[in-house]
Amino acid sequence: MRKLLIALTILFLLIFPQVSLASDTIPIKRIISNMKEYDGKIVTVEGEAIGDKMIRGSYGWITVNDDPYSIKSLEEGGKFKGLSNMGIGVWAPVEELEDITILGGYKNKGDKIRVRGYFHRACHEHGGDTDIHAISIEKIKDGHPFSKPFEFWKLALSLILFGFALLLWKTLNIKKSKAKGAKKE
Amino acid sequence: MILKPTREDLKLIAWGIGRVILGIGLIMIIPLVVALVSTEWNTVLDFLVGISSCVLFWLIIENTCYQKKDLSWSHGLVVASAGWLIAMLFGAIPHFLSGHFKAYLDACFDLMSGYTTTGLFLLQDLDHVSHGLNMWRHLLTYAGGQGIIVIALTFLFAGSSGAFKLYASEGKEEKLLPNVIRTARAIWMISLTYLVVGSIALWISLSCEGMPAGRGFLHSIWLFMGAWSTGGFAPQSLNLLYYHSLIIELITLVIFVIGSFNFALHYAVWTGKRSEIYRNIEIKSFVTTSLITTVILSIGFSKVGLYTSLGEFFRKGFYNLMSGHTTTGNQSIYSISFQHEFGFIAMWAVILAMAIGASACSTGGGFKGLRMGIFSKYLWGEIKQLVSPESSLQKVKIHHVRDIWLDDEIVKGTMLVLISYVSIYFIGGLLGIIYGYQPSVAFFDAVSAGSNTGLSASLTSPSMPSLLKVYYIFELWAGRLEFMSVFALFGMIIASIKGRRTGRK
Repeated sequence: MRKLLIALTILFLLIFPQVSLASDTIPIKRIISNMKEYDGKIVTVEGEAIGDKMIRGSYGWITVNDDPYSIKSLEEGGKFKGLSNMGIGVWAPVEELEDITILGGYKNKGDKIRVRGYFHRACHEHGGDTDIHAISIEKIKDGHPFSKPFEFWKLALSLILFGFALLLWKTLNIKKSKAKGAKKE
Repeated sequence: MILKPTREDLKLIAWGIGRVILGIGLIMIIPLVVALVSTEWNTVLDFLVGISSCVLFWLIIENTCYQKKDLSWSHGLVVASAGWLIAMLFGAIPHFLSGHFKAYLDACFDLMSGYTTTGLFLLQDLDHVSHGLNMWRHLLTYAGGQGIIVIALTFLFAGSSGAFKLYASEGKEEKLLPNVIRTARAIWMISLTYLVVGSIALWISLSCEGMPAGRGFLHSIWLFMGAWSTGGFAPQSLNLLYYHSLIIELITLVIFVIGSFNFALHYAVWTGKRSEIYRNIEIKSFVTTSLITTVILSIGFSKVGLYTSLGEFFRKGFYNLMSGHTTTGNQSIYSISFQHEFGFIAMWAVILAMAIGASACSTGGGFKGLRMGIFSKYLWGEIKQLVSPESSLQKVKIHHVRDIWLDDEIVKGTMLVLISYVSIYFIGGLLGIIYGYQPSVAFFDAVSAGSNTGLSASLTSPSMPSLLKVYYIFELWAGRLEFMSVFALFGMIIASIKGRRTGRK
C-alpha cells in the first residue's frame, strides 16, 4: 500500500510538475484583489524579474510579474490575453538580488524567480506602497534573449511606400515648375 | 439657411489636414532614431512604414488639393477636429505594427489617449515594449500637450490670418505674442526649457535611487513628458509605483502642476509679471478646488483608516488626487485600489477633481479652472444682484492676465462647454453601467476619459467592450478640443448632406 502511494505521488509529480512545485505560490492578481486578506502575511509569488534592479544601500527593489506574458511574452510570439501586465515590487537584501542577472524587457525574457516574503497592503516603511518584503528569493530558471526574425515584409512595404512618395514628389515638382513657367509667360 | 461646402472648401480643409499629417510623420523621426540607437531593428521598420505613409498621404493631398486661399474660421475648426482623427489613424501605424495591439481600434485608442494627454491605454504587455515605441508613446503625449496643430503651425504653415483660426480651433484662445506663429514657437520654447530642466532633475534622482544611467536617462525623459503634458503615461505597467520613490513622486508632482497651468500665465511670469501668479483667476480657482477636494479625500481616508501617516496621505492620497485634478493620470497605487482601498468618499473626491480639471490653454483637460472661476463669479454676482436694490446693477470682473468684465456672451459660452462636459461624463458612466460595471467604477473611468486624465479604476482594459472603446475615443477627442471644433465638424457633415448649393466658386 505504501509503495503504491509513493508510486502515485511520483506519477502525480511527473504529470503535473507545475502544480506540485507551485502549490504554495499565490497569483499576484489574487493578492492585489484581496489585499486585506493577505496584509501582513507571508506569501510566495513566482514570476519573471522585470525592468530594473534598483539598489538602495544594503537593500534593493525588484519587480516580479506573473501575468501570462511573463510565461510567453508578445515579443516571443505569445498570444493576446486581453490584459495588462500584473506585477509587484519586492524589497530585498542586496545578497538576495545578486543571483538575478537577466531582467525582462523588449530584448530579454527575465530570470524566473520565486519570492517568499511579507505582503504589505500599505507598507509603513515605504510611504504606503503595496509591496512584498522578501525573506528569500530563489532563481528557478535563467532568463534569455528573445530570438526575433527580421521582418522583411515591413522593409518591403516601407520601400514601396517610399517609391510612391518619390514619384509623387517628382510630379509635384513638375507641376510647380509648369505653374512658374505659366506665370512668367 | 445651411450652405453646402464647395469643392474648394473641402480641398482647403484636406490641404490643412495634409500638413498636420506631415507633421506627425516628421515627429516619428525621433522614435526612429531611438530605435536605431537601441538596435531595435523591427521597431525601426515600424517607424519607417509610419513615416512613409504620412509623407505619401501629404504628397497625395498636396498634388490634388493645393489651394492658394486662406483658411476661414469654419475651415480652421474642421481642420483641427478632423485633423486629430486622421492623425490618430496615421500615428497608430507603428503602434499596431509593434504587435502589442490585438486590434487597430486598440492602437487608435492609445493614440488618441496620447495626443489628448489622457494616459489610458489598451497596449498589452507594456513591460516588454521597445525603447522606440516607448519614446513614441511619450513623445506623442508631449507633442499633443502643446497641440498637434501648434506643431504644424510652428513648422509647416506660413504666417497668415488662417493660422490663428487653426490655433484657436484646438481649444486655445490666448495669443502670447501678436503673431500666432511666434505664439506657437513661444509655447515650444517654454515646454523645451522645462523638458531640459525637469529631465535632468529626474535623471539625477533616478540615479540616486539605483537605476542604471542609460535606462535612467530614457525614463527621466519619458517621465517628464508624461507629467508635463499631464498625459500620465509611464514606461512600466506599475506606473509611478514602479519607482518606490518619494523624490520621483515629488518632482513629477511639481512638473504636472506647473504643466497644468495656462501657457499665458507661464509667459506672463517669464516676462516678469510675477504678480499674475497671485491674481490669476485660474490659480485662485485651482487652489480653492484643490483645498475642497483634499478635505473630502481626508474625510474619506479617515473613514477607511488605511493610510495613517502624513507621508502615506501625501504619497497615496494627495499625489493621486493632484494627478487627477491636473488631469495627469500618473498613479502611485494599483488601479483596483481606487475601488478597494480608497473607499467611496475618497474615490468620489478624485472623480470631482478630475471633472474640474486643469487650466485653459494648457496641456490639461476637464471643465478648466477658468470656467469654474467664471461660473462661480457669475453665480456670486447673481446672488448679490438678488439681494441688492432693484435699481442697482452688479457687474462682475475676473482677472486672467488682464481684467475681464463678464457679459452674457462669455457666460453663455462657458455654460455651453460645461454642459457638454457633464453630458459626455454622464453618457460614458451610463454606458459603463449598462455593460455591467459598478456605478463608481463606470463614472470614474468615464470622467477620466472625458477630462483627459488617465486614472483608471480598472474598467479600461483591452477586454472592455468595443462600443465603450469607441465612445471613450470620442470622449477623449471632444474633451480635448473643448467641443467647438467637434460641433463645427458635425455641422460641416450635416451641411454637406442637407445644405443648399451656392453659386460660389
